Amino acid sequence: MSNTVMKIENLQAKIGDKQILKGLNLELEAGKVHAIMGPNGAGKSTLSKALVGHYDIEVLGGDIIYKGKSIVEMEAEERALEGIFLSFQHPVEIPGVNNAYFLRTALNAKRKHEGKEELNAAEFLRLMKSHLEMLGMKSDMISRSLNEGFSGGEKKRNEILQMLILEPEVIILDEIDSGLDIDALRAVSEGINKMKDGKRTFLVITHYSRILDYIEPDYIHVLKDGKVIKTAGPELVPYLEEHGYDGIEEE
Amino acid sequence: MNLIDLKHKNRQEVTDLLGAKEREMLVERFVSLGLPSKKTEEYRYFDVEKVLDKAYKTLRYVPKTLEVSDKIEIVDGVVVAAPQGMRIYNEACQQIDMDHFDPLYYLGHLLCPQTIKIELDGDTEVEIEHTYTQSDALINYRIVLYNQANRHATVYENFICADIENTLVLYGYDMHIAQDSTLRVVKMQNLQDNHYAMVASHRVNVARNANAILKSFDLGGDQALQLLKVELAERAHVDAGHLLYLNADAKRGTVSQIVHVGEHSSSKQEAKNILDGEARGIFDALIRVEHSAKYTKAEQNSKAILLHDKAYMAAKPQLEIYIDELEASHGATTGQLDRKQLFYLQSRGISYVEARKMLVIAFANTLIEEVKDTRQQERIKTAFEKVFYKAHQ
Repeated sequence: MSNTVMKIENLQAKIGDKQILKGLNLELEAGKVHAIMGPNGAGKSTLSKALVGHYDIEVLGGDIIYKGKSIVEMEAEERALEGIFLSFQHPVEIPGVNNAYFLRTALNAKRKHEGKEELNAAEFLRLMKSHLEMLGMKSDMISRSLNEGFSGGEKKRNEILQMLILEPEVIILDEIDSGLDIDALRAVSEGINKMKDGKRTFLVITHYSRILDYIEPDYIHVLKDGKVIKTAGPELVPYLEEHGYDGIEEE
Repeated sequence: MNLIDLKHKNRQEVTDLLGAKEREMLVERFVSLGLPSKKTEEYRYFDVEKVLDKAYKTLRYVPKTLEVSDKIEIVDGVVVAAPQGMRIYNEACQQIDMDHFDPLYYLGHLLCPQTIKIELDGDTEVEIEHTYTQSDALINYRIVLYNQANRHATVYENFICADIENTLVLYGYDMHIAQDSTLRVVKMQNLQDNHYAMVASHRVNVARNANAILKSFDLGGDQALQLLKVELAERAHVDAGHLLYLNADAKRGTVSQIVHVGEHSSSKQEAKNILDGEARGIFDALIRVEHSAKYTKAEQNSKAILLHDKAYMAAKPQLEIYIDELEASHGATTGQLDRKQLFYLQSRGISYVEARKMLVIAFANTLIEEVKDTRQQERIKTAFEKVFYKAHQ
C-alpha cells in the first residue's frame, strides 16, 4: 500500500485469560474507508480497543505503527492527541460532566498539543452549535450531562459530534449503526461523510452491510478468529450478504 | 479547662465542675450518656479523646452592641454584627431536647446557659459567618433559630478563621421550623489547614407540613463532626445532603438521627464522600420510624469514592422501624472512580489527572447543584475546585 497511515503487524492480544487477536495484519491507507466485517467473536471490537489503548487489552506481541511510530506503549490520551479516535459502540454515561465542558476540555487539550491557541467558551459554543444543527441535534445537548439519559441514537450522534469537533485523522467506528433508526443512521452517515475529505482514514467495524450503503468503503477486510483472512474491494459486500462468512477462506 | 476531666464523673461532680447547680436535668442527661470516648458508637471513628484531652483556655462571652452588616457575624461565639432589623437575642434556651443522642449536645448547653436566639422574619435569606480568632481555646456557643409559619427562609453558613491552632469549637443549633414553612440551611466549611477541631451538635424540630432542607459542604481539614437530630411531625419533610471532600489526615463527617414521629412524614438523606490521602470520612446515620409515623417515606444513601488506598470511609446507614405501613430504603457504596468513565475521557485526549478531576467534580456537582441559589452554587463549586486542585497540584 503506497500511502499507509497505520500498519498493524502480527498483533496478538488477550482480554483476561483469553487470546482474541492471533497475529492480525492490516494496513490502513490514508484517506480511505476500510470496513472490517466478521462473525461474532472474531475480534472486531478487541481490535478497536487495542488501537486506542483500552485497559482491558493486553498486547502479547506484534506492533501497531501509526505515522511511522509504534503506539503500543502509548497511553490512551496520547493516542487521542495524535489523532486516533474511537466512536464507542456503547458510549458511557457520565452524570455531572457537562457535555460542552467536556468537549471543550478535549478540544483544547488537542489544540494545546498541536501548539495552537485554546478556544474560549464563546468561540467553542459557536463551533458546537454549528455542528449540532448539521447533525439534527437539539441545543440542550450543550447543557446536558455527557451521554446521561441519551437515547441510543443521541449517544451515537454525540460520538459523531465529538469526531467533527476533534477532527481526528484515523477514525474507528465500532458498530456505529447498532441501535439506530433510519433517520438517525442517515444523520450519523452524513456526519461521517462530511469528514471524508481524502485525508482522514476510517475503520468501520460492522456486523451488517447496512451502514456501508451510506458510507461507501474502499476496502473490505474480513476478520475471523483473530486474524484478517481476506481483503477485497466493496464488491465483497454482496457476496458476504449472500453467502455469509463461512465460505471465506484465509488468503 | 480540660474536658477529659468530666470523664467518669458523677452528677454532683459534674455539677460542681461546670457550676451548673440549677440545671440538674441537663447534668443528668449528660452524665447518663457519659463523656464520649472511642467506645461511644457515635464517636467511634472520630478520635474524640484526642480532641477532648487538651487544656483549653475558656473565653468570656460578653454580648456586644451589634454593628450593621449584610450578614450575621459571630466572632468567637459572640454576635458582633447583623443586618438591620434582624431579631437577635441572648437568652436561655427554652426548648432543649431531653432525648438527644449526643452527650456533647448537653455539654454544649451546660457550658453556655445563654444562647444566641435568631428569629427569622418572613421570606428571608441570611448569611451567618462564623469567625474564630483564638488559639488553644474552647469556643462554645449555641444558636436557637426560629422561622415563621407559612414562610420560606434560607440561611447560608460560612466559616473563617485567623491563623490559629489547637482550638476546639463546640457549637450547634436548636432549630424550630414552624408549621407550613420551609427552612433551608446551606453550610460550607472549606478551611484546609489544621486550625481548629469542631463538634457541631444540632437539634432540628420540624413542625407539621414544614420542610427542612439541610445541605452541608465540608471540604475542611483537621477534625469535625456534625451530629444531627431531626424530628419530623405529621407531613413534615427533611431533605439532608452532605458532601465531604477530605484529604491528608482529616477526620470529618456526619452522625445523624432522623426520627419520624408524625404520619406521612418523609425524609431524604444523601451523602457523597470523596476521600483522598489518609483521610477518614464518617457517615453514621439512623432513620427511626416511630409507631405513630404511619405512611412514612424514608430514603437514605451514602456514596464514597476513595482516591487513595489509605483513605477510609466509615459508612453506617441504619433503619429502625416500628410500623409496617411505610416506604423505606437505605444503602451505602464505597468504591473508586469508574474506570470506564475515566477511559472514555482519556480516549478523547484528556489527561489521566484532568479526567480524575472532572469525574470527582462531577460526583460532587450533583449535590452542589441542589443548592438553588446560583451565586451560592458557584461559590461552593469554586471552593471545591480550589481545594481539589490544591491537593492535586
